[in-house]
Amino acid sequence: MKRLIKTVKSFTLWELFQGLFVTGRAFFGKKITIQYPEEETPISPRFRGMLALRRYPNGEERCIACKLCEAVCPAAAITIESEEREDGSRRTTKYEIDAFKCINCGFCEEACPVDSIVLTPEMHYHIENRGDNILTKEKLLAIGDLYEERLAADRAADEKYR
Amino acid sequence: MFTIEINGKSVEANDGQMVIDAADAAGIYIPRFCYHKKLSVAANCRMCLVEVEKMGKPVPACATPAVSGMKVFTQSQKALDAQKAVMEFLLINHPLDCPICDQGGECELQDLALCYGEDVGRYTEGKRAVADEDIGPLVATEMTRCIHCTRCVRFGTEIAGFRELGMTGRGEKSRIGTYVKHFMQSEVSGNIIDLCPVGALTSKPYRFTARAWEMSQHRSIAPHDCLGSNIYVHTRGYEYSDFREVMRVIPRENESINETWLSDRDRFSYEGLHKDHRLTGPMIRKEGKWLQVDWPTALNFAANKLRDIINSKKPDQLAAIASPSSTLEELYLLQKIVRDLGSNNIDHRLHQSDFSQQENAPLFPGMSTELASIDSMDAILLVGSDIRREQPLAGLRVRKACLNGATIMRIGSIDHDVNFKLSENVHTTPSTLVESLQAVVDSLTSDANKSSIAKHLKNSEKSLIILGDEAQSHSQATLVRALCLEIAKLSNAKIAIMTLGANSAGAWIAGAVPHRKAAGENSSAVGLNAQTMFSQPRAAYILLNVEPEHDLIHSSTAIAALMAADFVMSLSPYMSPVHADLADVLLPIAPFTETDGTFVNVEGKWQSFNAVSPPYGEVRPGWKVLRVFGNLLELNGYDYICASEVRNELEKLLQHSNVPTDRTSLEKNTSNKPKGFEILYEWPAVCVDNVSRRANALQSILMPLQRTVSISSETAKDLGIQSEQLITLKQSDREITVPARIDARIPNTCVLVPKGVSLTSGFGDGFAEITVQRGESHA
Repeated sequence: MKRLIKTVKSFTLWELFQGLFVTGRAFFGKKITIQYPEEETPISPRFRGMLALRRYPNGEERCIACKLCEAVCPAAAITIESEEREDGSRRTTKYEIDAFKCINCGFCEEACPVDSIVLTPEMHYHIENRGDNILTKEKLLAIGDLYEERLAADRAADEKYR
Repeated sequence: MFTIEINGKSVEANDGQMVIDAADAAGIYIPRFCYHKKLSVAANCRMCLVEVEKMGKPVPACATPAVSGMKVFTQSQKALDAQKAVMEFLLINHPLDCPICDQGGECELQDLALCYGEDVGRYTEGKRAVADEDIGPLVATEMTRCIHCTRCVRFGTEIAGFRELGMTGRGEKSRIGTYVKHFMQSEVSGNIIDLCPVGALTSKPYRFTARAWEMSQHRSIAPHDCLGSNIYVHTRGYEYSDFREVMRVIPRENESINETWLSDRDRFSYEGLHKDHRLTGPMIRKEGKWLQVDWPTALNFAANKLRDIINSKKPDQLAAIASPSSTLEELYLLQKIVRDLGSNNIDHRLHQSDFSQQENAPLFPGMSTELASIDSMDAILLVGSDIRREQPLAGLRVRKACLNGATIMRIGSIDHDVNFKLSENVHTTPSTLVESLQAVVDSLTSDANKSSIAKHLKNSEKSLIILGDEAQSHSQATLVRALCLEIAKLSNAKIAIMTLGANSAGAWIAGAVPHRKAAGENSSAVGLNAQTMFSQPRAAYILLNVEPEHDLIHSSTAIAALMAADFVMSLSPYMSPVHADLADVLLPIAPFTETDGTFVNVEGKWQSFNAVSPPYGEVRPGWKVLRVFGNLLELNGYDYICASEVRNELEKLLQHSNVPTDRTSLEKNTSNKPKGFEILYEWPAVCVDNVSRRANALQSILMPLQRTVSISSETAKDLGIQSEQLITLKQSDREITVPARIDARIPNTCVLVPKGVSLTSGFGDGFAEITVQRGESHA
């Protein structure tokens, strides 16, 4: 019986038509055209783009220099130096990410106990000059400030899975 | 010896041994917080609960003696349940702030919480918080994290001998702290950092700078005292980067030397190695200005100058002085260069001013027994020794002997405070020190009127005489030593000469003395020693790791001679203001962490170590600099490839030499008691060498009063001054006016001058006559 079905199918070019059906569905279906870069497709709140450092709403930087992101980074892209700040808290004196080394894996974000280092949904960035690939603490914090609203919303949306 | 069974495995145990010891010996790990093998058993953390057959409840393994045939289960359900319950209790109040805790990554609680903790806590109430105390510049506290294991308390009372920390309050209100607010005074306080299983006590200089997982660990030897404590140096930075920074130093266990402890000086001196203090490259002085140059220029400049002086004048116009904390290789090569150039003027005895009978000295002054045997002595006589600060870990052993029932006695001019019971304390002046020792000898030789010191020494089976820095830097040091040897002979005691620096013994062996070549071979001509090379000024000097204003007992003469010299070359990792004034060439050599080398400790143990990081900047290891310098001077036999070749050469020489024995004889010399004031010198424990003097945290434990000159209250009354008023000291044309403090430790008509501190920089000319006057007040 099985053999019979197989023989019929191969003579009627069943599989060919099956494939063409998929083509036909796309051919006659509704077209989606995004006028990139003017338009963009929506992206997941988990999208892993450019890196940023976040602040608390009162303006205090979140990073506590625990160095877990540095330890977990598979590309060794993060360099941290730390010391005791005047008020006795543990803070970084240097927080640098080499954007050339970074592979946007998001491990640093997962390791961070205070949600300080995050990957923003921003994917449009470029580096023109040698040395600009080093994202310093100031740059990262500035990016964080720029995207804070979006970052907070993304994290709130993803809250129950975290 | 009997067998017990742990987890079904037969394990040997001794009578009275606790289960946890037997398990450790067999390699079976039982979790613990309060138990430490060097401390008494407290059994208060309950983490080591294990199940024992036929016992109803789980029992603490650290407080349960092993009994023959006992069956112990460390991983049974009952034991695990008990341990998990204990962990849950411990975590009730312990904050979960591991990311900001310095102990994070090397925390015993963190490790055990991984094995025995639950992933979610059931405790929802507020946690306990404890106010912090500032206990000094070395140890940082975060008492909220404390789990009350009391290791630090037990260390203080049992090992260090200071009840500085204690537990107050009960139940949830119990807390560890200093009873009254004060800074820790112990010279070994840093050990509580290692002992603390959590992040309650951490290192202050290291605070928040690095993480345990970032660092690599290297074996090394501590460079500040003659014990040669074994250490681990932790560095951060990539293997092949230009500079790997030393982040901290921790003890490496060696039962025969430092056990598991480390003195604060050895632990925190690494701060002095920081690049801010260091020379980055060789410098020469041209027309009064310091120029940074490359190595060939600097070395050629130095070699040409030196050759000119030797050719135009006599070779004995060259003199070299080396620090006894330099490595064996550096000292050997330096003396080889000096001797090959035809001079014998080399010395390392920076604190000494009596050099008589030096030809009768043994191969090196040291101990005639082992360090570990101090523990089991029955009587110990300290002669001019502040063992607590000079060799802190030997001090701990003396204390241990005292607790074991030994009689500790002391003869000395400074009444140092001690952390053990002194049965006899003879407080002398420098000039009566000899008389006091003579009295002991006399009562040992005659049967009548025995002094109690003599009686104790004679009646003890094992006794030891320890000579400290005061005895060795005494104006009649040889006589003091001969008398001690005589006492030792008569009472069958051992003798321990606790020398200065990490490598005095090595310096003697390497031949960095004017009367002996390497390996103790007598030199045909006797050169000038550390005193005479300056009192008879030379044309050229080489300084190895020496800062003349601080390190020398004859500072003022030395500086005058060095200023007048045609050529001064300094090999040191640092540039001091005095170096800048008097040197012509500065060759930066690597400190102990950046060079391969060997230290010979007071027992005669050769301990080699390797560089833990590449030298900073243009700095080069001392042995390499001297090797190239030897070649540039066109001398033969300087083609060493590695430091161990230098060491091997010396070892070979030692095999073929007639090792001299101690033939110091008792020569009565008429002691003329000086009129007026007598001078006493003291190098505070944290000012002994160029590295420790630059360690900021260590320097800040130096009390403001420790930086000033001290006199007795009687003397102060005679001079008509009060504490912290100015006095003027005048010795050999040099005069300083400094505040004086009144100090009960000092005998009358004596003045104690601290060396190695900025106040007395450049002051001091041995035991030359000193005048003390009331200082002019500028107010």
